[in-house]
Amino acid sequence: MRECSIELEEKGELSILRLDGSLDAYSFPRLESTLGQLQEGGKHRVILDCAALEYVSSAALGALIGFARRAREKGGDLKLAGLSPKIYNIVELLGFNKILEVCDSVEDADKRFGSGG
Amino acid sequence: MFYVVSIVAELILIAAFVLLFMQNRRLRRQRNELLQEKEATYGFIHDVAEVFAGATTVDLDNLLRRVLYYAVRTTRAASGAVYLFEPDKQALRARAISGIFPPLLGGVDTGLERAMSKSQHVENLVKTRLIQRGEGLVGEVADFGSAILLPDAETDPRVPRYELDFLQIRSLLLVPMRFHQEVLGVLAVVNRVDGQPFAPADLGLLQALADQASISIYYAGLRETLEEKMRIDRDLDAARRIQTSLLPKTLPRVEGVELAAFNYPALEIGGDYYDFIEVDDTHLGIAMADVSGKGTGGAIMMSVCRSVIRAHAPRHLSPAQVLKLVNQVLAHDVSEDMFVSVLYMVLNTSTRELVVARAGHERPIVSHEQQDLTILDSPGVAIGIADTETFERVLEEIRIPLKPGDVVVAYTDGVTEAMNIREEEWGLDQLLDAIRVASREGANSVLNNVRQRLERFVGNRPQYDDMTLLALHVMK
Repeated sequence: MRECSIELEEKGELSILRLDGSLDAYSFPRLESTLGQLQEGGKHRVILDCAALEYVSSAALGALIGFARRAREKGGDLKLAGLSPKIYNIVELLGFNKILEVCDSVEDADKRFGSGG
Repeated sequence: MFYVVSIVAELILIAAFVLLFMQNRRLRRQRNELLQEKEATYGFIHDVAEVFAGATTVDLDNLLRRVLYYAVRTTRAASGAVYLFEPDKQALRARAISGIFPPLLGGVDTGLERAMSKSQHVENLVKTRLIQRGEGLVGEVADFGSAILLPDAETDPRVPRYELDFLQIRSLLLVPMRFHQEVLGVLAVVNRVDGQPFAPADLGLLQALADQASISIYYAGLRETLEEKMRIDRDLDAARRIQTSLLPKTLPRVEGVELAAFNYPALEIGGDYYDFIEVDDTHLGIAMADVSGKGTGGAIMMSVCRSVIRAHAPRHLSPAQVLKLVNQVLAHDVSEDMFVSVLYMVLNTSTRELVVARAGHERPIVSHEQQDLTILDSPGVAIGIADTETFERVLEEIRIPLKPGDVVVAYTDGVTEAMNIREEEWGLDQLLDAIRVASREGANSVLNNVRQRLERFVGNRPQYDDMTLLALHVMK
């Protein structure tokens, strides 16, 4: 499996993280440290662009919820965008689509942030 | 005329004096430089001896701090860091830092101006950011195994620039730490305290120090790995014992119902379990769970989950109700990054009605005679991740009247995500196919068919997740 690469784009208040590859127990700590740094820096509006994500472990998804919760406490959110059907299936199976906001695309997520979310 | 001669002679004399004075000064400077060099070399030889003294008894972190201390001293650097490869040999981690060492990879660094202690914040940034083989200057040195000397680092595009004065990188020197053909890590120093750029002589000294230190680091690293491995083994052993002790030793006997189950623990102990509980005289509870955390933490969570289900299952005919109670108890105990997916079903052993509640678990599959498989989908969130209100609002149970010949299969994602040597997943379609082919023969036939196909598929590849599967067959 390909190691996950993470690319950060800052767009005003928004932080867009593009994930490429597979997100599992071995690659998750890197995303975790990036998200931690964003949070520490007061960046609470985060979009994870999952369009190029090939695999995500359920444990990694679970850990994302903690970040989403903390972001919401600060008036922000962590939204998922551009999920492949396979990854959406994992999210749905775990019922995480009821907790995390799942958007069709980064633009869609961007708009939802714009409308006060 | 005499005056003129006298003045000229005097001028020559003065010029000679000036010349002599200047030459003297140059010689003195050269002598000082040589002395300094000699001092540095002597100091270095002494330092290396120091690093070695007691190297067999000190632990790795201690040794690295010592190596770094002498590296910084020998090269008169303002700060330095030792990066070592992680056990995966792909990523490097800063294991020791001296002074305020600026992050050599730019990137997310927005917290700096807000940080209470800037030096502490910078140290955390450097220590938490893993560097991949080939990534940035450190990754490059580690990958190629050759040193990089940047006397004038400010003009080099690979060097990050910082606004804060104490983070500015003016001169930079990185050397690989090698043992035989293997690069163990990278030793890096930044800015000389005297404001001079690092010189080739500094590179020579630092490389020599790194070469000597690498031998001790290699052996200290081996010891650390061994100790860590022993600790993990003990941890896994405890986890495995908990896990096996919790699985049912025998399957319950229910008239007219055939039950079968298997559980293959993975290399790194997942937290799968299944259980059968007597709800009352005519109801059998069937639980299957998968804890997201591994090791002892996961095993303890699984054991708590099992106890709570066992405590609430008797007399409760609604599986959703039981899962809500379990969630109420566990939601506070589950650490933030851990959750449990649970499938809980209650079978009425006289009417054969099955009630299913699914808290984020894999959807069970039902095979009916004369028609294709159905996948039981009911909404529900995994336990320990949502607030109680959301969990209870989302969770719904479904009722299935089972007919003679029907087979119900529950499983964990370790089965469908089992991998072969080519890193391909077995997948849901393969599982459905295995069930379809064997379900006419009953629960044990399904179980054996899945097991055989799985074994053929994965071959010798070690699996990282538990595989658990359970089948229930309503006999004719």
